[in-house]
Amino acid sequence: MQRDDSILTADHVSLYYGENQALRDISLSIPQNQVTALIGPSGCGKSTLLRCFNRLTDLVENVRLEGRIFFEGLDIHDPDCDVVELRKRIGMVFQRPNPFPSSIYNNIAYGPRVHGIHNKKMLDTIVRESLEAAALWDEVADRLHDSAMGLSGGQQQRLCIARTLAVEPEIILMDEPCSALDPIATSKIENLINDLKEHYTVVIVTHNMQQAARVSDFVGFMYLGQLIEFGPTARIFKNPQEELTNNYVTGRFG
Amino acid sequence: MVNKYREELKDLKDLVQEQGAFACGMLSSAMTALQDQDPELAGQVYAQRVELAERNLAIEEAALRLIALYQPMARDLRAIVCALRMNFALFRIGRYGKDIAKLVEGLSGEPHIGNLMNLPHMGNLVCTMINDALTAYRTEDIKPIEGMSHRDDVVDELRYAIFRESVTYMTEDPRNITRCIDYVMIARYLERCGDYACDIAEQVCYMVTGERVEVK
Repeated sequence: MQRDDSILTADHVSLYYGENQALRDISLSIPQNQVTALIGPSGCGKSTLLRCFNRLTDLVENVRLEGRIFFEGLDIHDPDCDVVELRKRIGMVFQRPNPFPSSIYNNIAYGPRVHGIHNKKMLDTIVRESLEAAALWDEVADRLHDSAMGLSGGQQQRLCIARTLAVEPEIILMDEPCSALDPIATSKIENLINDLKEHYTVVIVTHNMQQAARVSDFVGFMYLGQLIEFGPTARIFKNPQEELTNNYVTGRFG
Repeated sequence: MVNKYREELKDLKDLVQEQGAFACGMLSSAMTALQDQDPELAGQVYAQRVELAERNLAIEEAALRLIALYQPMARDLRAIVCALRMNFALFRIGRYGKDIAKLVEGLSGEPHIGNLMNLPHMGNLVCTMINDALTAYRTEDIKPIEGMSHRDDVVDELRYAIFRESVTYMTEDPRNITRCIDYVMIARYLERCGDYACDIAEQVCYMVTGERVEVK
């Protein structure tokens, strides 16, 4: 399923947690500057696949991966691939907002500092631009040095997105980014996702089909570790080619 | 556990099927009343227009409710769009039945010209087309509607035949004009009903297969 406009490609990827096979021979291409949603019932492997994309699965014991994943044509499991650099270019936003127990400013500046930026003026600019891009600046501009823990859940999640943006990634992976948020905060994140695709490629895992329908351009439907169907969002929800996809999106199981 | 959503989807389908029987019944009763010169039966059909409209509205409300509450997807979404479009087609078919019924009284004073020409035959063909389209909807099997385009061609031909024949009767005797114009109108109504049967067939195909086909 190689596409010309793809930035990230999985090529026959299988993954085992010990004896347990979580991903089965998955091949797909993530199109650049588009939002791709992975949907499927609990345990179908969508989060595992997402974690493979920036090698977070390396951190789990007894994991074995077969097949290859290419990011801009480079094999991310190549011994020459610097995993810190990889995770800078492919950022991750998690289900529960997880700000560092520090100031709003430090949350954003942390990444750039790790990557060697210490100039105050430069950091100020990065903090501002990241917060603006995450649609949070107007709400926190006058309290940048307050603790991030004092923000609401939705604000914390946008802070986490801003923190990801601060290191200038190319791809942002989001694992159920709204499931801990109320509808208003969810709608803000969804609007933000739509804005982000101008500069970034977004891959989002969600169990909320309506959310996938609202925010994504492409959808991959997974079931029992397999990628059942991948295609443009409107087609998947209007006229899926696979009976299994139809049964899932119409709520017959899952 | 009863799945409320699936129940309501099924209820919608039942409503559409009932409306199908009701509307097609209006059309075929109107044709019977025309043939038998039975103004009383025609009056009953005319009165059914009220229930036809109520049913039409009830289906639309049920479909809107499903969309608003359950955000249907894929085949369910196509089924609801199909129900809405069938609802419109069936409403029009019932209304044409009413229009034909309205003409019956004026055509019942003396024997029909040319024994009604091909109108009863045309009426039967159209009703069969509608019924087959409804069967395809009920069974979600598109076999009964596969030859629909061809059957619609026959109906179109009959309409022109009735038109030409009416013109000869009108030229023969100007006193025939009023009645012959009614026959031409009825042929036109029946031809439109055939088109609606094709529309229903197209919708059912899309609902079942997800593919767009053009019937006629």
